[in-house]
Order: sequence, then structure tokens, then C-alpha cells
Amino acid sequence: MATGDAITRHVVTFGRVLREAGLEIGPGRVADALRALGAVELTRQEDVYYALRQTFVSRQDELDLFDRAFGAWFLRAPVLAPVRAQPAAQLSRGSEAPVDRLRPGDAEEEAGDPLELGASEVELLRDKDFSELTGDELRRVRELIGQIARSRPRRSSRRRSADRLGDQLDLRRLIRRSLRTGGDPVDRPLRARKAVPRKLVLLCDVSGSMDNYARALILFLHAVVGSGRGVEAFAFGTRLSRLTPDLTTRDPEAALLKCTEAVVDWGSGTRIGASLREFNEIYGRRALSRGAVIVIVSDGWERDDPDLVGREMAKLARAAYAVVWVNPLKGNPEYQPLAGGMRAALPFVDRFLAGHNLRSLEELATVLAGIERRHAA
Amino acid sequence: MQFASIDELEQALRRADYLPDRGLSTALFLALTLEKPLLLEGEAGVGKTEAAKSLALATSSRLIRLQCYEGLDVAHAVYEWNYPRQLLHIRAAQEGTVSEDELFGPEFLIRRPLLEAIESDEPVVLLIDEVDRADEEFEAFLLEVLSDFQITVPELGTIRARIRPAVILTSNRTRELHDALKRRALFHWIGHPSIDREIEIVRLRVPGIPERLAAEAAAFVRELRGLELAKSPGVAETIDWAMALNALGRREIDAEVVQQTLGSVLKYREDIELVRDETLSRLIEAAAAASAR
Repeated sequence: MATGDAITRHVVTFGRVLREAGLEIGPGRVADALRALGAVELTRQEDVYYALRQTFVSRQDELDLFDRAFGAWFLRAPVLAPVRAQPAAQLSRGSEAPVDRLRPGDAEEEAGDPLELGASEVELLRDKDFSELTGDELRRVRELIGQIARSRPRRSSRRRSADRLGDQLDLRRLIRRSLRTGGDPVDRPLRARKAVPRKLVLLCDVSGSMDNYARALILFLHAVVGSGRGVEAFAFGTRLSRLTPDLTTRDPEAALLKCTEAVVDWGSGTRIGASLREFNEIYGRRALSRGAVIVIVSDGWERDDPDLVGREMAKLARAAYAVVWVNPLKGNPEYQPLAGGMRAALPFVDRFLAGHNLRSLEELATVLAGIERRHAA
Repeated sequence: MQFASIDELEQALRRADYLPDRGLSTALFLALTLEKPLLLEGEAGVGKTEAAKSLALATSSRLIRLQCYEGLDVAHAVYEWNYPRQLLHIRAAQEGTVSEDELFGPEFLIRRPLLEAIESDEPVVLLIDEVDRADEEFEAFLLEVLSDFQITVPELGTIRARIRPAVILTSNRTRELHDALKRRALFHWIGHPSIDREIEIVRLRVPGIPERLAAEAAAFVRELRGLELAKSPGVAETIDWAMALNALGRREIDAEVVQQTLGSVLKYREDIELVRDETLSRLIEAAAAASAR
């Protein structure tokens, strides 16, 4: 069985190569691949190729990667390294991209550590207490909490349950009850589809360029998370942190404080693409984004690779029910989405909204309540 | 329903008037041999549904099709009780003589595709079409059925498959399917066929078509796919069009006949309007050149 062992070793190693290249390869797939190879003619390269591809790959966008890996591994073809982005290498490129120069306050940023970006201006806003909102603003914010809680996007559940105001006869129960009355349907039990809240995932950019808005938006996140189950909130800057557990407290101010602690990269540069990738890889895999309405709050200033933003947005949009992008800069009538990250993301965005004041947040709530699936067939 | 080799399956599919490429034959062969569901994805019109139908023909199996849509539920996918019959039965039996067990017995059960496929005594190809349209909850339920090949009806108990159906799932990728479902299935991406294969398909499906016409039609559609269209034509459209051209008694294509018949290839008005004048002449020239090779 020497040859059999050799094949097993080959396939196991190849599976590992693919996994390192970013494919999701578990022991189940390796076992399937071995069984598949056992069923086809090993002397026919095409059959071996397809047998491995059909067991190892489960998405069209992985085919390219697989082809290159297959070429390198089995055909000894010269290939480029797999297209896995190298975050470290890209970081150093920083503000070289022309779009980045448009970024406000970039002069300081080029000079030194991104953490020092626009320090004086940002500090002022950072110090502004929640209580410094005027009474009117505060009331509106509170109202907003209720409004958003009510206006969660809903979907109709597959299951029906007994409902006196239902739209369908509960025939199973009707038959059982009719037994007692000799076949006369005296009662008319009804049932209806339950409307259950759609999953809502919020990804909020809290980097330096968003500082002006981050405070207000945290309140917004708190309001939405407080609206019930199925809401997840994340903050991102140079990386991603999950905020949901911190936002479940009743007191927004305490939540704000805890958020600030949780998001260690508060106030530093933004890596939208890398953060989205982290989200897709960790939470997207657990089906968090599937069928969800995703709200991304960011100005779209990507310091690394706009292409990565596009790729990750594509993945996100495919899994999601709808994607909403809230960009506070859009509040300015002269704003144009020139930032590379924003431009790359826009094709995958269903609704593009401003989020610079309370009115625009209300608009967001209205949009969320009535959002339709973009890619419905 | 087993084949000794991919070649053997390929021949059986050919006899069913289906010309798979090697990749698809391998996928179908592995699905049968490893008894795993096969997920087919690809552009609209590349023959995903056809593949399942032809597999049923080639294996002399019954094709059971479940068309998915948003809101698809157990009553439409698995089973439902035949309530009118139950009511009539109670009436007919008069008072007190009907037990609940009798009323919820197999004869009052309406079998929907999934239950039918599980219960079948003959070999079945189960086609779960456009699974991406169904809700997530249904997908989770489907995963259960595809893992154990059994279905539980509360009143009747668990029904197990005696013969495992061959399962083909198709998806148009309007959303990502569940990882667990993907892990359970083999995956094959069907691309547009090569020009030679498409000519071969046209000649197989449109008997008596002049060789040159088949080649020009296939080459023209291929050129169309290079344009930015709202809906790119698939193989099904090539076949429809070739049939139309053949019925008109044409031996080759020209601007006039293309304009008359383009509606069987392009389904959107914008797309038809795009293919006019210079674009049309350019495409016809390119098609003539390509088919003359």
C-alpha cells in the first residue's frame, strides 16, 4: 500500500497548502478528496484535477486560487504567490496613494505616528460630555432609541403559529376539533406567519477621521443593541472589536465608557478592508452576516488597499440581505465619494446615507424599517 | 445507479442528448459514487437544471424537483395533511367512530417533493433548484434531511430512505449558502461551454441544422457574451435561436435575420437595442470569421 500512503500524504499536504491560502479545508473535505481520487482514473490529469477541485472548493471565487495551487503542487508550474493580502507590507505604503492626500489633517499624519492625528481638535470633541448635548437634543436621542427599536427590519418567519387574527386556517387543529363535533368545523382556528426581526449588524468606524461623529454614533449603536435580540455591533479602526456585550447595559454613558476601553485603537488610522476581512472571516463564517441587514458607519478613508475593501465588501454583500453605508461626510452637499475605500465599496452598497446629525439618523431608522433586498431574483 | 467509470456515465448522458464537459461528468460521477449531494453553480443558462434532468434520464431514475422560493415551507416541500379528505372521512363515518390515529394515517398524507424522494422505492434524482432563493431556516432543515435522508412526521414517526436519492442542488448565488451545506456537498462551477462544444450541442439538439448555421449561431452568441448585457445568453438561448434560424430555412446568418430573431437570444429590450447597426455588423463579421476556422 505504499502508493496509497503516498497519495494520502500528498492530498493531506495539498489540503494544508490550500488552507494556508485561505480556503476552508477541514478533515471532512480531505476524506472526501481521498474517496474521490479512489473513484477516478489517477492517470488522467483532468479527472484528478476535477475530483480534487469538486471536493476542496465550494465557491467560484476560490477557483482561481485552487488552480494556481494545483498547478504549483501537482504540475510543478511556476506560479505567483497566492493572492493573500499582506497587511504588514501594505501598512508601510500609508499615505502614498493619491486619494489619501485629500484626507483632512493629513499633514500631521505624514509627519509621524497616526495616533497623534489632529490631536488638539480631536481632544476637544473627545472631552465633550454626553450631558453637554442640549436638552432638546437629548430628548430627540431618547425618542430615537424608541423609534429605532420599533423600526427594526423584519422578515417573515417560515413557521406559522396560532393567531386569532391569522390569515390561514390552522387545518391540523381544525380537523382535531371537528372530531368532537362529528366533522362539523365549528371552531375556526387561525394561524399566521410570525414576523421576526431581521438580524442587524452594525460596523462602526471609530478611527481618527470619524471622531467627530463616533460619540453620537455610539449612542446610536447603544440604542439599536438595546432594541432586542439579533443585533450585533462592532467597532473598527485599525482592527475590529465586538461591542455587543458592552452595549447591553442600560446606561448609555457607562456603555460609552466601556466601549472606549474595548476599542483600543480608538482615534488611530483606519484599515477598513482589513477590518471587514476580519469580520467576514470570524463572524461571517458563523453566518452572522447571512440574511442580515448590515450597516457600516464610516467615512470610507482607507489607509491601506482600496481593492481589499472592494473584495471584502463583495463577500459581505453576497451574504447579507442588504448593506447600508452611513457616511457622515455625505451630509455636506459638496461631498463626492472620492476616497478610494468609499469608491471601492459603493458598488456593493444598497443604500448610501449621511449620518452627521440626528435628522439623518432618523432617516436611517426609516430606511432600515422598510429596506428591501437588492439582489432579490 | 452506479457507473464503473466517468466515460461510462458520459456515454449514458450523451444517449440522453446531453453533452457534459469532463468536469461536469466527473462531478456527476462522484456524486453517484460517493453518494453525496452535488451543488451546481454557474451563470444562468449554462444548463444546471438540464444536468439533473439528463442525469435522471441517463440513470433511468425518476426526477423529483423541488423549486425553491422565499417563504417555501414544510407544507410545500415535505408533506401536508389532506384536510378536505379528513373532514369528509369524519362525516362519512358518522359520530364517534373515527380515531385520531386513523385520521392522521398515511392515506391522508399529501407527499411533497422531499418526502416523495425519501419514500420512493425506485431510484430518484432529487433536484433542489435555486436553493439560494429559499430562506435560511429552510436551508437548515434541508441540511438535516440531506444528512440523514430521513423525515419525521409527528403523527406517523420517522420515514427513512430505502434508496438514497441522487441529490443535485443548483444556486444562482443571489446569496451565500450555509457553510455546513457546502461542506456536505460536492461543488462544481459550470462555465460557458467552449465554442466547439457549443456547436456540438446545437447540432445534437437541433437535428438537421446546417453545419455552417450551427457554427455561426454559436459563434455569434459567443460574441454577444463579450458585450455588457443585462442578461448574457446561455446555451439554452443558443439552442432556441438555432431552432428558430433552422425553422426559417436559413443556411447562414445575416443582419436581417438576426434582427428578426434576436428576441430568442436576448431577453431585455436594452440588450436588443444595444445590438444594432455597427455593433450588429461587427458581431456578424466576427461570428463568420470564428466559424470559418
